[in-house]
Amino acid sequence: MYRVKVRDPGLAGAARALVAPRYREVRAVEDVSFVVERGEIVAFLGPNGAGKTTTLKMLTGLIYPSEGQAQVAGFTPWEGGSPFKQRISLVLGNKQQLLWDLPAEETFQLNQAIYAVPEALYRERRDELVELLELEDVIDKPVRQVSLGERMKCELAASLLHAPEILFLDEPTLGLDVTAQDAVRRFLCTYRERHGATILLTSHYMADVTALASRVLIIHRGRLLYDGALQSLVARMTQAKRIELVLGNGVTRERLAEFGDVREFRFPNATLEVPRDEATAAAARLLSSLEIVDLSIQDPAIEDVIRRVFAEAS
Amino acid sequence: MRIWVARYWALIRSAWLVDLQYRAAIAIWMLWNVTEPAIALGIWWSIAGQGTVQGFARADFARYFFGVTLINQLTLAWDAWYIDRWIRHGEMNYRLARPIGPVHEAIADNIAYKARTASIILLLWIAVAALWPAVRLPFDPARWALALLATVLAAGIRFFNGYTTGLLAFWTTRATAIMELQFGVALFLSGRIAPLSLLPAPIAAVARALWFPYVLSFPVEVLTGTARSPAQYLHGFGGQLVWLGAWAVACLVVWRRGVRQYGAVGG
Repeated sequence: MYRVKVRDPGLAGAARALVAPRYREVRAVEDVSFVVERGEIVAFLGPNGAGKTTTLKMLTGLIYPSEGQAQVAGFTPWEGGSPFKQRISLVLGNKQQLLWDLPAEETFQLNQAIYAVPEALYRERRDELVELLELEDVIDKPVRQVSLGERMKCELAASLLHAPEILFLDEPTLGLDVTAQDAVRRFLCTYRERHGATILLTSHYMADVTALASRVLIIHRGRLLYDGALQSLVARMTQAKRIELVLGNGVTRERLAEFGDVREFRFPNATLEVPRDEATAAAARLLSSLEIVDLSIQDPAIEDVIRRVFAEAS
Repeated sequence: MRIWVARYWALIRSAWLVDLQYRAAIAIWMLWNVTEPAIALGIWWSIAGQGTVQGFARADFARYFFGVTLINQLTLAWDAWYIDRWIRHGEMNYRLARPIGPVHEAIADNIAYKARTASIILLLWIAVAALWPAVRLPFDPARWALALLATVLAAGIRFFNGYTTGLLAFWTTRATAIMELQFGVALFLSGRIAPLSLLPAPIAAVARALWFPYVLSFPVEVLTGTARSPAQYLHGFGGQLVWLGAWAVACLVVWRRGVRQYGAVGG
């Protein structure tokens, strides 16, 4: 919970705020409880201002909560001090730790000293990270001269040189193009497989979540709405499946409506929604009764599911 | 201990490497810091003429303002501006997630800055002293050692003062304005514009009740030999220790309270 200063618009409002400031108490996070096992990749999902970044910052000890408890790697984060911080790493997609005017290698060396990584271990880890992230041609250029995607890769490398047990990622693919996003995701999967690190991340990109996380925590208005596997959420939230079709000649919308709810019809493409447990039978009937060029059964788009979760919570 | 030496060396090295990217800007700041005492010296040189002003002859003013230039470089602290930016722009976040406190980066940055700029000023002074006897200091290693001690204590006071003021950014967006106000007041009360003994008695009395004389005037007086009696040393070093302790405690209190209510800006 924190206080924010509120004021009316205009000069009069500004003057009133000077003489008699008004504050409003905001509950950023409330009643959020969960346990993350070693080696899990867990994603926090939620709209802007939901409380997911606040939760992440509490777990890294940046913010002192007004109430409640947390244990991370055996420490209370905001009281853990250096021994706790030695075991974690925080990567912020919108704030970088790299020394802007110097090559990334200089930040690596600085972090080696800060985290007291022995020279041989530093070289081994640095070489591994440079190879995994394909940074050979990047780390000797000033950070200000490398692309956003390359910078994020350097940021990840700098954050992992001390081999943290737990990696906290806040919007790690923010602003990156699809190729760079994919490279970051592939790296995180490989790194976790090799080193068994626990990863907690927030992201607005569903592709990050589906590619990385085995489990999602959905937070809305500071409260935990869901904790579990993404596919279980989809199954729970949706009573229907989508059948994507490419139609042959002569198939009309009316004809298709005999098999389910026609959600889209742009010949030759069409989308049909059918009850979840009847999807297979409906597909078989479609193939035997109509001229169908292509057919696929899918869950509704994850974005739609999440949107429904938030809509129901509101 | 070895770990801390390595950490500080890495931080100082990084600060120097970054400074090398901003050579022109640093040269301009240094020039400004030399220009201000040079102008003050010019004015007092002209006022003193062939006589003295309350015991200060032209050569005394020259030594005093050369001392001001050197000690000011050795004690100058920009931390309020850095800390204010770290807090308000969210740059404090990753610093708080590291196993060393942000204060160590600030201390290392100060050492790097002071070692670089003060060494240039010292060389400049030696070069000028070779040609101009008025600014030469008598060979007195004991006095130089005392001046060094007074300078270190003064640097400590200015550091904690600036760092604490910067930490006010946890609560207000006016932290740098508060620091600029202190810079303005210090122009008169620390002896940057005139030796304190030339100030009107009421202003000098106000100055003596605050920390300003101990961060510049006193170390300069020790260096130039104006302060040389045991009573002056006792009063000067005693005052420095009191203010160093006061600002260090204030820094700790403000840090502990501020970091607890930090909203971790950004993200």
